[in-house]
Amino acid sequence: MTSFDIDYTLGIFPILFKYIDITISMALIATAIALVIAIIIAIIKTFKIKFLSSFCDLYISFLRGTPLIVQLFLLYFGLPQILPIFSNLDAYSASIAGLSLHFSAYMAESIRGAISSIDKGQFEAASSLGMSKTQSFSHIILPQAIRVAIPSLMNNFIDLIKSTSLAFTLGVPEIMAKAQLEASSSYKYFEAFLAVALVYWVIVITFTYLQKRIEKRLNKAYSI
Amino acid sequence: MNKIILTFLTILTFLFVGCGENNSTQTNEKKVIKVGTSGGYFPFTFYENDQLKGFEIDVWNAIGEKLGATIEFKTAKFSGLFGMLETGKIDTISNQITTTPQRLEKYYFATPYVYDGAQIIVHKDNNEIKSFEDLKGKKVGVTLGTNYAQIVKSLDKNDEVTLITYEGNGFEQDVKLKRIDAFVQDRISAVELIKKANLPLKIVGEPLEILTNSFPFVKNEANKALLEEVNKAIEELKKDGTLKNISVKWFDTNITEK
Repeated sequence: MTSFDIDYTLGIFPILFKYIDITISMALIATAIALVIAIIIAIIKTFKIKFLSSFCDLYISFLRGTPLIVQLFLLYFGLPQILPIFSNLDAYSASIAGLSLHFSAYMAESIRGAISSIDKGQFEAASSLGMSKTQSFSHIILPQAIRVAIPSLMNNFIDLIKSTSLAFTLGVPEIMAKAQLEASSSYKYFEAFLAVALVYWVIVITFTYLQKRIEKRLNKAYSI
Repeated sequence: MNKIILTFLTILTFLFVGCGENNSTQTNEKKVIKVGTSGGYFPFTFYENDQLKGFEIDVWNAIGEKLGATIEFKTAKFSGLFGMLETGKIDTISNQITTTPQRLEKYYFATPYVYDGAQIIVHKDNNEIKSFEDLKGKKVGVTLGTNYAQIVKSLDKNDEVTLITYEGNGFEQDVKLKRIDAFVQDRISAVELIKKANLPLKIVGEPLEILTNSFPFVKNEANKALLEEVNKAIEELKKDGTLKNISVKWFDTNITEK
C-alpha cells in the first residue's frame, strides 16, 4: 500500500496558485454579470411588468431546472451549430457566460425574496413624501433589500466559485483542471484532490470574511 | 413576447461577437494546427509540473517540424474533445483515438500511428477472471466516451456484464479497493499505470481487440488537404525512424508498427 505523499501534496500548491486567478476572475466576473441580470429580473417580477414577467419566469425555470454542465455544453458546443458566429466564443468567455446565466436565476430569486420582505408601508410612506415610484424603489426599498439579500447572495456566490470547476470540461485551465491533470500522470489522486480542496476552502473562507465586514457596515444604520 | 426574445438574442449575439473578435487575428507567416488533447492520459499526454509532455506531444511536434507548422495544443477533458472538434475549435484530436466504423463514417482519419490492444485488467489476487467469458455477472469499469464500452458491449451479446462508466480515470482505484472486478483499457497505458502507480493489478488474457489509433478530422475540403499533408509527414516519420524513436523513449518498445 502506498502511503500519503506529503511532499507531493505541497509541490502541487505552487501549480494551483498559478491558475487561481482564472478561477477567481471567472467567479467575480460571472457574479457581477449575474447580479446585473438578477436585479433586472427581480425588478421586472416585483412590478409584474407584462410579457417581460412571464419571459423571466421561463428564464428562471429553465436555468434552475437544468444542470449547469448541460448549459455549458449547450452554450459552447450546441450554440455554434445553430449560429456559426458563436464558434468565436472561447472557453473562458463561454464558461463565464454559462455561470452568469445559471446563477442569475438563483440570484434573481434571492433578491426578489429580499424585496418582498420589505414592508409595503415603506413604499407607501415614500410615495406620501412625494417620491416617484422609481425614486422610492431605488432610494428606500432597494437599499434595505440589499442588506437582507446579502446572506443568500453570498450562498449563491460561494456555490458559483465551486462551480467554476466545471469549466475544465470546456478546456479552461482552472485549478480543478490542474489538480486532475497532475494527478493523472502521478496517479496520486488523493494528494492532488486534497490540495485543491484546501485551496477552494481558503478562497471561500476569505470571501466569507469579507461578507461579514460588508454586513457589519450595512447593519450600522440599524444598530442602536 | 417574440420581439423581446429576439432583441435579447441580438444583444447577446453582439456581446459574444465582441468577445470573440480579438481571438481571430491570424498570422499568415506560419501555419497553425490546433491539436486537442486531454493532458490526462499518462504517458501519452500528461502534465508534470505544469508542463505538457508525452508521446502524443512529441509525435505532433515532429509532424509540425516536417510541415513547417506551429502546433498549438489545447487541453480539455476527454469528454469535451469531440465537441471541440465538431465546432472547429481544434483541427484534430491526439489522444489515442481508435478508428471505429462509426467514427470513420463521421471523420477522416490520418494514417495510423499506433497499434494497440484492448485489455482486461483485474486485481492481483483475482484468479477467477481469465478471459472475457469470466466477466459475465461482474462489474467492469470503462472511461466515458471511449470505444472500450462499445467493445465490451459488442462482445457481451446477452447483456451479462455490468458496465460502469467513469469520467476520466478512477476505475483503477475501484479495482484496487475491490469495488469493481475489472476494467478495460488499452494494453500500453495499463502496463504503464501498474508500473508507475505501483498498483496491485494485473493484465489478463489476450487483447479483446486490436486497436488502430489515429487523428480524426472533420470531413470538409480544407481538412482534406491538411489530412494529405499530415499523412505524408507520418509516412516520412515512419521511414526515417523518428516515430520509432519517440515510441521507444516512452514505452521501451515500438508501438507504431503492427
